[in-house]
Amino acid sequence: MSVDTVAPEEQAASSVPTAQRPPSPARLDRAVLDRGAGGVWAWLFQRVTAVFLLYGMAVHLISTHILAIGKLDFGNIADRLGSNFFVVTDVLLLAAVLYHALNGARMVVLDYWLAGRTGRLTLTVALWIFGLATFAYGLWALWPWITQQGRP
Amino acid sequence: MGRPPGAALSLPIASRPRATLRCTRRNEPVTARQGGTLSPTAAETNVGAGNWKGLGMWAWMLFRVAGVVLVLYLFAHIGVISTARVAGHSTLNSAFTLFDHPLFVLLDLLLVWAVLFHALNGVRILLMDLGLGIERHKAVFWGCMGVAVVSLGFFAVKAFAYIAAHHGGGLV
Repeated sequence: MSVDTVAPEEQAASSVPTAQRPPSPARLDRAVLDRGAGGVWAWLFQRVTAVFLLYGMAVHLISTHILAIGKLDFGNIADRLGSNFFVVTDVLLLAAVLYHALNGARMVVLDYWLAGRTGRLTLTVALWIFGLATFAYGLWALWPWITQQGRP
Repeated sequence: MGRPPGAALSLPIASRPRATLRCTRRNEPVTARQGGTLSPTAAETNVGAGNWKGLGMWAWMLFRVAGVVLVLYLFAHIGVISTARVAGHSTLNSAFTLFDHPLFVLLDLLLVWAVLFHALNGVRILLMDLGLGIERHKAVFWGCMGVAVVSLGFFAVKAFAYIAAHHGGGLV
């Protein structure tokens, strides 16, 4: 926190109400550097997917590594995916975890490299293509259970 | 990307006005500080995630390292599991036979540790972004870490009990 931060006492002492006072350029810069570099929608979706992942990862880890410990093989997984609950959870989990992972990786990269607008945009587009392709691949792998037809 | 700088700020800095509450010297008359410079102590400015200071710095670094590890694991995981459709059941089952080795069970436990630390530190970040518990951010941090440790203990008991029952307790 730098020296331009406005303390509550100073806000009260000033004649101009805080709401009408524009933020200082230094404060804007700092806020953008802190969290705005990846875009506000990415910031929001990272948190929305995080909340879903708390649920999805709990289901995933408990069902596979606690309830099915020692029994994990193709048959066990295929049986579990016979229920719609696990198919829906797994498809949503795949989408959420891909967004969260690739956007997280993007934020790490943007913290050190690709400060320019072109580089940033290229990275974002490349990650979207890669993420959507992986999601399509995951859907294909799950397809026998999504349709529940011709599944082994 | 053509967004004006101010447009990005409404959500991200929503919690900042409350964060500034910690940036004051206690028991000091307001009049003494008017016109002077604000020089909070190190402890008072160590608020929230992202500061390169003390515990928050380590939490941030471990959060990031765990995140990168989990991204790499995610794609390995998708690759292995999808062999069921790419190469057939027996390929996946032979992979599971390999992962049944105690060393892989221990690696799994490390992975659970990374997931739990990342998840619970993430919960802390969500709470800070919502402006919840900023005044007690250290208690929130230790509370989250407590939940992570207890959950990890649960998985660890399961993992070691499994190794003991199926592999005689030795790393063979």
